[in-house]
Amino acid sequence: MKKVWLLGLILTLLIGVLAVGQVKTLYWNLGTEPPSLDPNTATDTTSIQVLQALFVGLTDFDDATMAVVPELAMHWEASEDGLTWTFYLRDDVYWTDGTPVTAQQVEYSVKRTLNPATGSSYAFVLWMIDGAEAYNTGEVESADGVGVKALGDYRVRFTLNQSAGYFPAIAGMWVCRPLPITVVEEYGDAWTNAENIVTNGAYKLGEWVHEDHMILYKSETFYDADKTNIHVVYCYMIEEASTAMTMYEAGDLDADENPPLEDMDRIKADPVLSAELHTAPDLCTYYYGFNNEKAPFDNPLVRKAFASAIDRQSLIDYILKGGQKPAQTFVCPGIFGYIDGVAEGIGYPYDPEVAKQFLADAGYPNGEGFPEVTLMHNTSEGHSKIAQFIGQSFMDTLNVTVNIVNQEWKVYLATCREDAPQIYRMGWCADYPDANNWVNEVFNSESGSNYANYNSPDFDALVEQAARESDPAVRLDLYRQAETLMCDTDAGIVPIYFYTMVKLTKPYVVRTYAALGGEHWEQWDILPH
Amino acid sequence: MFEFVVRRLLWLIPVIFVVSIITFVLMHSIPGGPFDAEKALPQAIIDNLNAKYHLDDPLWKQYVDYMWGFVRFDLGPSIAYRSRTVNDILAQQWPVTAMLGLASFAIAVFGGIPLGIISAVKQNSLADYTSMGISMLGLSIPNMALGPLLIWVFALNLKWFPVATWGSPIHVVLPAITLGTAYMASFARLTRASMLQVVREDYIQTARAKGVRHTTVMLKHALRNALIPVSTIAGPSFAGIMTGSMIVERIFAIPGIGKYYVTSVGNRDYPVIMATTLVFAIAVVLMNMLVDVSYGILDPRIRYN
Repeated sequence: MKKVWLLGLILTLLIGVLAVGQVKTLYWNLGTEPPSLDPNTATDTTSIQVLQALFVGLTDFDDATMAVVPELAMHWEASEDGLTWTFYLRDDVYWTDGTPVTAQQVEYSVKRTLNPATGSSYAFVLWMIDGAEAYNTGEVESADGVGVKALGDYRVRFTLNQSAGYFPAIAGMWVCRPLPITVVEEYGDAWTNAENIVTNGAYKLGEWVHEDHMILYKSETFYDADKTNIHVVYCYMIEEASTAMTMYEAGDLDADENPPLEDMDRIKADPVLSAELHTAPDLCTYYYGFNNEKAPFDNPLVRKAFASAIDRQSLIDYILKGGQKPAQTFVCPGIFGYIDGVAEGIGYPYDPEVAKQFLADAGYPNGEGFPEVTLMHNTSEGHSKIAQFIGQSFMDTLNVTVNIVNQEWKVYLATCREDAPQIYRMGWCADYPDANNWVNEVFNSESGSNYANYNSPDFDALVEQAARESDPAVRLDLYRQAETLMCDTDAGIVPIYFYTMVKLTKPYVVRTYAALGGEHWEQWDILPH
Repeated sequence: MFEFVVRRLLWLIPVIFVVSIITFVLMHSIPGGPFDAEKALPQAIIDNLNAKYHLDDPLWKQYVDYMWGFVRFDLGPSIAYRSRTVNDILAQQWPVTAMLGLASFAIAVFGGIPLGIISAVKQNSLADYTSMGISMLGLSIPNMALGPLLIWVFALNLKWFPVATWGSPIHVVLPAITLGTAYMASFARLTRASMLQVVREDYIQTARAKGVRHTTVMLKHALRNALIPVSTIAGPSFAGIMTGSMIVERIFAIPGIGKYYVTSVGNRDYPVIMATTLVFAIAVVLMNMLVDVSYGILDPRIRYN
């Protein structure tokens, strides 16, 4: 009897070990609690990382090429005039409750995003859809006029009010992802709670202990489940970068997406850590804006003088240390419409003599009679270091007095919106990889993010024409002209550097790097270790 | 005593009223709103969001609506965490903070008071210098240095404890020491100082003259009275420790309420700012009431009317 009991125990243990051996678990740090798992209302990178795993989009991005690739939609076509887009959906995609994913759910999601009562911050990216703006802004009560229509179960048609060559990228965004209609209707805002949520992506939500962890399990109903290698993604929510770094070094995390700046020198010097370090371009640009309406920065010569007085390479080498790239134009590499300003001579490289000459031409030889300048940034140690460096550079080169001021983030945003200081710090990151998301959406004279009050009818005409144009070569040239106008001729802003992402990953993790956010865990693997 | 407690509880009503009015006015007078972001939203979108959270109502109505919800224990939705209500956040995060707080407070009380007693009883001895040295260290090392130091020694090198995160009793040890040390140190110094003051009182001299043993005099006669200043400090300290420490919770990745005190202001998450502030105010009032009750127990000369 005793032997049987012992044999049973050994067998159980053996099966247990074998079973555990087959389960591949990725230990990940989300960095914080995801604020929303509702694709219609999420706006932040943390939520979008989880949404990417839980919900499929009509389209997706290829991490290597950043091209738009099929996902839920197998293929799509646009009408001659570029106003009507039809997406053909796969018929083998299922929700975790076993029901099929259909075109009606795409239509429902788009209309729910646009419903004013939903309160979706990103609804405006869909305003290019016919009737969307009128419905979203409450001009019309009914969603019937919105140009999205399910044609049967597996075909959905969008009608746009302007031709937009980048629409397939928009159609893949989370605000368009199909939703489980009955679940959303039944539970309201609580439909994303772990006990209610129904998903259709490569992973499903197993457990969500707020502020602590989230466990995602491989979804067996996912159409490509055979190719999903990692069975469990265990997501921590560690906010403190040094704690995450310590856990990575202790082996509790398989990747650290945000190693602390102060550890960079140590990481680079350490033979093990430096081999696990990956540096790649990130789709963001750091820039200083001039308030083009505020004297003396209403004079382009003054703006050019300040733009020429920034030593970007020294800033990167001695302050930032992350291998960033100097920027003389606004759109960053990796985005369609990127122009290499440094190579093409667009914008202003560091040149103290040229800077002094510009200031003299503006009527302030050697800075004489130049009023005190306010350079403002939002409160943060990193921004402060950059501002000290650049402010000092202005003072040394141009012989002017620069007052560096910082404000708490939302106070700062309100200041910039209402009456931006003479020089202000800001950054921009891609929502979709097209220059329209940059030059047009940020610096069109109508844009709410145009704190520089940059107002050039020629520039507006160029970026609006580029948005409508479909020929890539023509579009690229239009963006070249627009960048030249904004960053060179008018010097409305001064781009400083293109971001890099610095990540640590254990050698046994086979991974991709998603420049646009939303890592594709379903394409990763974990090797025996 | 019952009458005293009821009277103090009734005081909560004006306190909540005043604190809520001040908080409400302050949070609405700082520039920037919950929907300001680096990517500026079109006004129409902001209008939709304001309508959804009733931020387009007149301020007085927003206040009245909030307080009407408050008395019915409905603290409203969180603006920053879309699927969660403030009730959810308090219910899920506060118990974690409370557990950490209790453990830290236990360290503070059961470590600090004995250290203080030893110092006082053996004044100017090696034991006194040692325990006061420890206290001085505990007071001077900030949490943000002590936490990583403990992690480095006991988690990374000795591997006795997990680096961070939450979930089992062993996860409580390092953060509780980090949070409790400063309180322990101040309790120790306070106990020592007030013990030394009390021993000069006439009734202690009388006890000694009657031939009572030194230890008995110290523990039975002196300590009780000496604990009055300690409990004065302990009350508000307990309120503070129970409502969370942003720094310790962050360093150890603990899912507590502490971070909401800070991030809700940054996010302009108005319902969360109101709730966390009012919870803190109520905790302070209740703890001070307990302190006053404890005076009567510690010193029989104190009466409540």
